[in-house]
Amino acid sequence: MINDKNSKKIVDIIQDFSRRHSLFVLAYGTGCGAIEIPPTMTSRYDAERFGIRGMATPRQADLLLITGYLASKTLKRVIRAYEQMQDPKYVIGFGSCTINGGMYWDSYNTIKILSDYIPVDVYINGCMPRPEAVITGFIELQNLIKEGKANGAQKYKENLEWYRENQKKVIKDWKMPDYNW
Amino acid sequence: MTDTILDKEQKLVQLLEQTFKKLSGKVVRQRRVTVSVEKELVPSVLSYAKSQLGYIHLSHMSCVDWPENNNFEIIYILWSPADKVQLFIKTLINRENPEIDNVDMIWKHANTYEREIREMYGIQFNGLVGAQEFILEDWDDMPPMRRDFDTVEYVDDNYTFRPGREDAGDVREEIVKRSGEDIPDFAKKYSRD
Repeated sequence: MINDKNSKKIVDIIQDFSRRHSLFVLAYGTGCGAIEIPPTMTSRYDAERFGIRGMATPRQADLLLITGYLASKTLKRVIRAYEQMQDPKYVIGFGSCTINGGMYWDSYNTIKILSDYIPVDVYINGCMPRPEAVITGFIELQNLIKEGKANGAQKYKENLEWYRENQKKVIKDWKMPDYNW
Repeated sequence: MTDTILDKEQKLVQLLEQTFKKLSGKVVRQRRVTVSVEKELVPSVLSYAKSQLGYIHLSHMSCVDWPENNNFEIIYILWSPADKVQLFIKTLINRENPEIDNVDMIWKHANTYEREIREMYGIQFNGLVGAQEFILEDWDDMPPMRRDFDTVEYVDDNYTFRPGREDAGDVREEIVKRSGEDIPDFAKKYSRD
């Protein structure tokens, strides 16, 4: 068990160290929040000094950022992307919209609580969160990885049925394979 | 504003009213004219405006729902680069059996607007070719842009509200209670009362 604190060996400590200092973010923006990523990544705030950088495909990425509102149509793509990512994988919910719907609390086509559909390790509050807040969220995730608490992927595997039930409530025409690790 | 400035607008209304009997036009202001027609006349008014009057560009096609009068209002916004006048062509259609003629043989891109209106308001365009689904996926409720569509009720059925965010109420008091911090001064002036 990788993220079990009780059986943490020296190998795991080294693994966790490397993981938290090489968080590769999937370059995928869902809402308006993606506009805060370029300043975070570029020279002014320079997230790369924490080992955070963009990655082109889900299979190479460790971290899925849900930046802002998530339409029920986009949720399908997000689930596909999340399931294609390889372990270890983490999710950050970004902005008020992922927490409670934000200004889209009564919209007919955006989801309201992101953690009902995919496991979220860290939420960043704000509309929009400033790059400082984004980096604080990244560091929070790094601390969670250090403590072995960022086990969202494990939670997803264990409670897959519950997540599927919620997902199928929104995605009525389910044409995806039931699982693809 | 003197009359001479509105010259070309008034001339346009006159010309349209002479050509089509059941048509009433109005000059709203400089460079803006609205025209109300019956729905059967729409394709001929549009093609006349395009071929004879120089209104060669369809800027937008839009729809308004009037449940009070049991009507939908379709609006075609035309633009003439020569006159620099925006021409609004409005038509009312019945809400019970909403259908109107397709105009994408006059402007090809009207097809996209028509598909959007068909999906969002449930209006049938006679002779419109194009996939039924446009933006929405697996939609099985009533068209969502109609004004009698209750979004809060739909959200309640299909999603879960986060407790505390079931309405658009002010949550700052709640945040103060939970966090034990005061509202900062800069936030106080944005009170909703």
